[in-house]
Amino acid sequence: MEKRQVRNNIRKLRFQNNEMTQEQLAEKVGVTRQTIIALEGGKYAPSLELAFRISLAFGLPLTEVFSYEAETESTNK
Amino acid sequence: MSYQEKNITVSLVSHLFIMVYYLVNLFPIIQSGEWIAGRLYGLWAIVIGANILVTIIGSILTNILLTIVEAVQSKKYEDPHFITDERDNLIELKGIRVSYIIFSVGVLISIFAFIFGQPALMMISLIFVFSIIAQIVGDITRITLYRRGL
Repeated sequence: MEKRQVRNNIRKLRFQNNEMTQEQLAEKVGVTRQTIIALEGGKYAPSLELAFRISLAFGLPLTEVFSYEAETESTNK
Repeated sequence: MSYQEKNITVSLVSHLFIMVYYLVNLFPIIQSGEWIAGRLYGLWAIVIGANILVTIIGSILTNILLTIVEAVQSKKYEDPHFITDERDNLIELKGIRVSYIIFSVGVLISIFAFIFGQPALMMISLIFVFSIIAQIVGDITRITLYRRGL
């Protein structure tokens, strides 16, 4: 069975944008620093609105910040 | 640990103490079988009062202490930004859902106990027990979701 996951490049994009800190990004998009940490760690998938706000913060389209990929699970049984 | 995790930890520890106090006082009543309304009313009043104190004062004290600790560590005072975002709201909702399920099951068990001949005071005592268990399990769920992710 395929498992899909929302992935992101937030950490890479932060460093490319004048080494923006997690705190700065969090303040810019209106969330806590812990939420940014969870996003970067793949522990949280943002709402559509938050995804758009993050993309706008970097000045990039949504698909350059986030991707929706399939993870194939091994079926060895 | 984030502000929310610290708040939930304080709530969890407090509810554990309340649970222990309640059970320590309830077991002798169960063992003796003497369901005296006056004794139980006093016990329930203490549990309700303690819950209110934990909810209100615990939260306020946690805020104050965290502000002081952060001011001392950073050597400057800034207005605390205790914002609650969508992830916090989602975790809160999931915790409430788990608490609700536990409490609902507990109420059913209590009602069945009454139906099968146990005194009404025991039914209400069980409801109190399950309400505290529901809060504890809800707190554990929220801490787990904060640590492991959604």
